[in-house]
Amino acid sequence: MLSAIWETEGLQTVGIVVLVFASIKLLHLLGLISFSEDSVEDELELSTVRHRPEGLEQLEAQTRFSRKELQILYRGFKNECPSGVVNEDTFKDIYAQFFPQGDASTYAHFLFNAFDTDHNGSVSFEDFVMGLSILLRGSIQEKLNWAFNLYDINKDGYITKEEMLDIMKAIYDMMGKCTYPALREETPRQHVEIFFQKMDKNKDGVVTIDEFIDCCQNDENIMRSMHLFENVL
Amino acid sequence: MAAGVAAWLPFARAAAIGWMPVASTPMPIPPQEKKKGKDGLIILNVSGTKFQTWRTTLERYPDTLLGSTERDFFFHDETNEYFFDRDPDIFRHILNFYRTGKLHYPRQECIAAYDEELAFFGIIAEIIGDCCYEEYKDRRRENAERLQDDEEMDQSNDVTPVNLTHREFLWRAFENPHTSTMALVFYYVTGFFIAISVMANVVETVPCGAMPNRAKEMSCGDRYSLAFFCLDTACVMIFTVEYLLRLIAAPSRYKFMKSVMSVIDVVAIMPYYIGLVMTDNDQVSGAFVTLRVFRVFRIFKFSRHSAGLRILGYTLKSCASELGFLLFSLTMAIIIFATVMFYAEKGSTASKFTSIPAAFWYTIVTMTTLGYGDMVPKTIVGKVFGSICSLSGVLVIALPVPVIVSNFSRIYHQSQRAEKRRAQRACKEAGKALVAKAASPPFETQHNHLLHCLEKTTNHEFVDEQTFQANCMEISVMNKSGSCASSLSSSPHGLSSCCSRRHRKKNSFSLPSTNNQELSTIQIRERPMVNSRSSLNAKLDGTAPLKCDKSYITPSMVSLSAPVVTSSDGHGSTTTSTYSQSNIVRVSAL
Repeated sequence: MLSAIWETEGLQTVGIVVLVFASIKLLHLLGLISFSEDSVEDELELSTVRHRPEGLEQLEAQTRFSRKELQILYRGFKNECPSGVVNEDTFKDIYAQFFPQGDASTYAHFLFNAFDTDHNGSVSFEDFVMGLSILLRGSIQEKLNWAFNLYDINKDGYITKEEMLDIMKAIYDMMGKCTYPALREETPRQHVEIFFQKMDKNKDGVVTIDEFIDCCQNDENIMRSMHLFENVL
Repeated sequence: MAAGVAAWLPFARAAAIGWMPVASTPMPIPPQEKKKGKDGLIILNVSGTKFQTWRTTLERYPDTLLGSTERDFFFHDETNEYFFDRDPDIFRHILNFYRTGKLHYPRQECIAAYDEELAFFGIIAEIIGDCCYEEYKDRRRENAERLQDDEEMDQSNDVTPVNLTHREFLWRAFENPHTSTMALVFYYVTGFFIAISVMANVVETVPCGAMPNRAKEMSCGDRYSLAFFCLDTACVMIFTVEYLLRLIAAPSRYKFMKSVMSVIDVVAIMPYYIGLVMTDNDQVSGAFVTLRVFRVFRIFKFSRHSAGLRILGYTLKSCASELGFLLFSLTMAIIIFATVMFYAEKGSTASKFTSIPAAFWYTIVTMTTLGYGDMVPKTIVGKVFGSICSLSGVLVIALPVPVIVSNFSRIYHQSQRAEKRRAQRACKEAGKALVAKAASPPFETQHNHLLHCLEKTTNHEFVDEQTFQANCMEISVMNKSGSCASSLSSSPHGLSSCCSRRHRKKNSFSLPSTNNQELSTIQIRERPMVNSRSSLNAKLDGTAPLKCDKSYITPSMVSLSAPVVTSSDGHGSTTTSTYSQSNIVRVSAL
């Protein structure tokens, strides 16, 4: 009698165990449970983008660099970016190496957008050289235009306080943490206020291109510093 | 800054125009660009193989042979090229270093030849890229060891130097039995006695036939107890003498006593002495018998005589985690199957599976495919699970074993490599610190000018980590006191005042552990002069803040730049010049 009970108990055990395994298998088949932890495949990024710049004569015509200078520029460019284009990450890396103490990635992002004039996500050598031509060899008007373009993040022709605040924070980020005097939260904001007080003539809360250029041309410091990097190359 | 990125410096400086409208203070003057030499091609003729590169490429590293004026010594006028009578294959890698900024080590080259070329061209090996650095260091170490082994072999054939003390002579005799015939004799004698002792322990337990007036058989140990006792005494005496001699001769007795071999020695001879001390007390005889088991540890004394045993012990130790995992998984499987078998066999009559722990034995025997047959399942369910158990046992045991075996070598090499890398990293950092200062000066000044422009734009200055934290402490203390608030806010010479004030509080910047007596005396001597120095600092230009922070002595890693030492001399601390010979840590007193 007792043994009969225990036999059925044994069979019941078997039945329960089989049921449990079957349900686990079913859930696995349905994809609700996964057994292997590392099912991440490496995503091969196809980085076979190759870009060849326009001919030397055309670039010479379009920019204000001499042949030799273009050659030097291209060699440096190609050395760091053998594929011929710079994408944003590489750009950030390169720029960050000049500012080891701070975080240059935000400013590099704005800079990248300023150089990438056709907004295709990568800076080719033509974009690069055009930008440099304006910065190093352009007239004051062109340089100021370029700076305005940099600050105007959404390229709508107006610099708002928010845009300026973003730019200012990015610049202060490059300083890093260890500064004297210590950076405070409201330092960028104060700087933006000073900037707007100076630039925004009609006090409408935005700075247009004309206000900007006018104001900069009247400021001696700015004018002098615009000529600072003329003989960089 | 890598050489390649240096080519982008003009771009970074041009982009700085974006800060100009934002800045409210005037920008610093850019450094004077000295007239650049004509950027022409240079032809380098290395034993007939011609290499060509730009002049500016070579001048990226001005403290190497090719980058400095030293190459003019090799200029060959007739052919208008630079001729080097060196190996062209290795030169290829050296030239690539100038081009890409990374030095690679070719695996097929001899390490000594490569080192020679590096030394000739003035390139230090620490800048070898990460891809090749490990290989380079390994080969170098191998080579050095091989040379050292050759030297040692030569040395061991020489006459031993006579000026060893007796103690050192004894220790040397113990560690290297081949140094003298006495040591060799001693070595073999101890080996012989270890063997004798182990065999005696074994033979003791063999039944030797019954004595005339006893019914049952006695073991030999009981029959010839006196003989065995004498043998044991002799062996233990030899072992004791050996242990005491080793203890006397050891250079560091504490370390010797902690070592594994000495513990084995002690454990091997203890049972005898304890046996002598204890009388035939029934209560302790059980423990005494257990102690005799420890006599078998004498066999481990053979490991001094056999290198293979030592290696085996070491590899077991290093694979302990894998073995532990095997044990753990086995335990899990045993518990699972024992439980299942117990409940399956509950129904059968006169079942041997009386409890789950009792079922453990069955599971272990089945899983290791031993199958003694003393416990067998009788029910059908039990047999089904029993067969599953034995099949899975094969898997559970057979699968991890090759993994463990292959893990042996992998883990062994890996742990060696991890230690190697740790040791190499320290070296590498030191080397890199030296190299970092070797970046081309024009780039450095331009880079500094760029950073300076940023400082002016934001009206903040870069300081280093220590100062920043000191400033934070300053400000927090100041907020409490509040009396000196005015002096801090008076800015341009705020730093000098903070330096002097910092000095009034006893800030403790911990000196690194290379603390000579003399360093501390310098510190004491310098303190009274700090007030004058702070006023001197006020006159320095805007980059002074960095130097000011070291106005009281913090021994720091200073590069080999001579100007630091001379300016410190100018400030009147002549004692620092005496430390210019010390290796890395120098006191920078400005």
